[in-house]
Amino acid sequence: MIQLRNIQKSFGNQLVLKGIDLTVNKGEVVSILGPSGSGKTTLLRCINFLERPNEGEVMVDDFTVNSKQASKKEILTLRKKTAMVFQQYNLFKHKTVMENVMEGLLVVQKSSKETARKLAMEVLAKVGLTEKANAYPVQLSGGQQQRVGIARALALNPEVILLDEPTSALDPELVGEVLEVIKRIADEGITMIIVTHEVSFAKDVSDYIVFMDQGEIIEEGTPTVIFNYPKEERTKRFFKRINREAGILESNLSSVI
Amino acid sequence: MDITLIIDFFPKLISYLHITLLILVAAVAIGLIIGVTIALIRIYKVPAFNRLALIYISFMRGTPILIQLFLIYFGLPALLTLVHIDVSRANPLLFVAITYGLSCGASFAEIIRGAVNGVERGQTEAAYSIGMNEKQMLVRIILPQALAMAFPNFANSVIGSLKDTSLAFTIGVMDMVGRGNTLIASSLHALEVYMTLSIIYYGVVLCLEKGFSLSEKKLQRFEGSLAVDTK
Repeated sequence: MIQLRNIQKSFGNQLVLKGIDLTVNKGEVVSILGPSGSGKTTLLRCINFLERPNEGEVMVDDFTVNSKQASKKEILTLRKKTAMVFQQYNLFKHKTVMENVMEGLLVVQKSSKETARKLAMEVLAKVGLTEKANAYPVQLSGGQQQRVGIARALALNPEVILLDEPTSALDPELVGEVLEVIKRIADEGITMIIVTHEVSFAKDVSDYIVFMDQGEIIEEGTPTVIFNYPKEERTKRFFKRINREAGILESNLSSVI
Repeated sequence: MDITLIIDFFPKLISYLHITLLILVAAVAIGLIIGVTIALIRIYKVPAFNRLALIYISFMRGTPILIQLFLIYFGLPALLTLVHIDVSRANPLLFVAITYGLSCGASFAEIIRGAVNGVERGQTEAAYSIGMNEKQMLVRIILPQALAMAFPNFANSVIGSLKDTSLAFTIGVMDMVGRGNTLIASSLHALEVYMTLSIIYYGVVLCLEKGFSLSEKKLQRFEGSLAVDTK
């Protein structure tokens, strides 16, 4: 179980997270939606202390880190329980696909080479990239790189995988393959917290939706409730805008056709 | 001028090439140790040391290597006599190695620092996100990429140092130039000696360049073109 208590974060004078509380149960997939600048990515990065919160506690699997007194060691322990998939993939550029996936296993989890290799092959099969095992990241498409990013996270067998806008940097035609992979591992019961702009994907994959705006959680609940019966004005407005954009896109498409 | 003398001088001079290469290797080895250390001090802005590092780099950049050579040659023994160590009889090669090592160290430090800062922030974050500590992140992720990126500048700097070693004779080291001077004294054919020396230096530089460009391709294969076979 992951629990965030009163997470606050400010950059300079600007309070970007105004005391966030969130609980994610084991095996749940939670999507965080909201307009840009709402603090969703910062919140995600606070969970593994890539951003250190100014206030609050992060609990992952009964291990609690308090932002005020967190030691380096505690932060390290927390990070070992989590893994992250980045918007810009951030694969280790000087390592092959295989080495990228094995790196954490070898260096952090101290697995033997054979164990790491075997596990890496397994997760690469899950993301459909076994034949690219010896390629360097630069030789892959964005979609393939992101699938390696997912494999790297998956290999560590973390308590939770944090996905930071995993498809935002991708060309539209590559989004599908990545979403499909995420959907597949979500179905395996891996706990995930996803920051995304893909509303229909979030609806499809999530057990729980969190809607954020201006550093606060405005509304949260199951997808059915949030998407069909949003209570808050800001949530309604957000979905209305998203729907309108989707509508415009569709009408543009139909006028082209 | 007697061109045929070049053929005569060539073997005499090249038999001292190993001294030149020895100086270069020592300088690069010392320079690497100093360079990495100073670069880390600068990157982490280690209090007090950062200031010293800045002064050191600025001084090495701002003074001619010939002057540095004399400063070390005369200054180091003077300093050491203060603590009762006598180096007046030490091989001048030692002073040359120290001077060129210090000089290389300063330029390597800046090259490495620039390259480390040039590695994307996302690489660090990815390393942290999989649970690496700072040292693992630095040694396994950042430095390998930085060193590969720094390599072309590093190679230039090494070639520069090779040419700088031609000043070592000024403190009495018998390298190729030192031997050349004795040849000039005995044969009175200065131009032919210098022509021979230029051929040898140029040849060595060409070899180094070839070697560096091969290593560069290997080191930076991950930056690489799609032409690299992945199978």
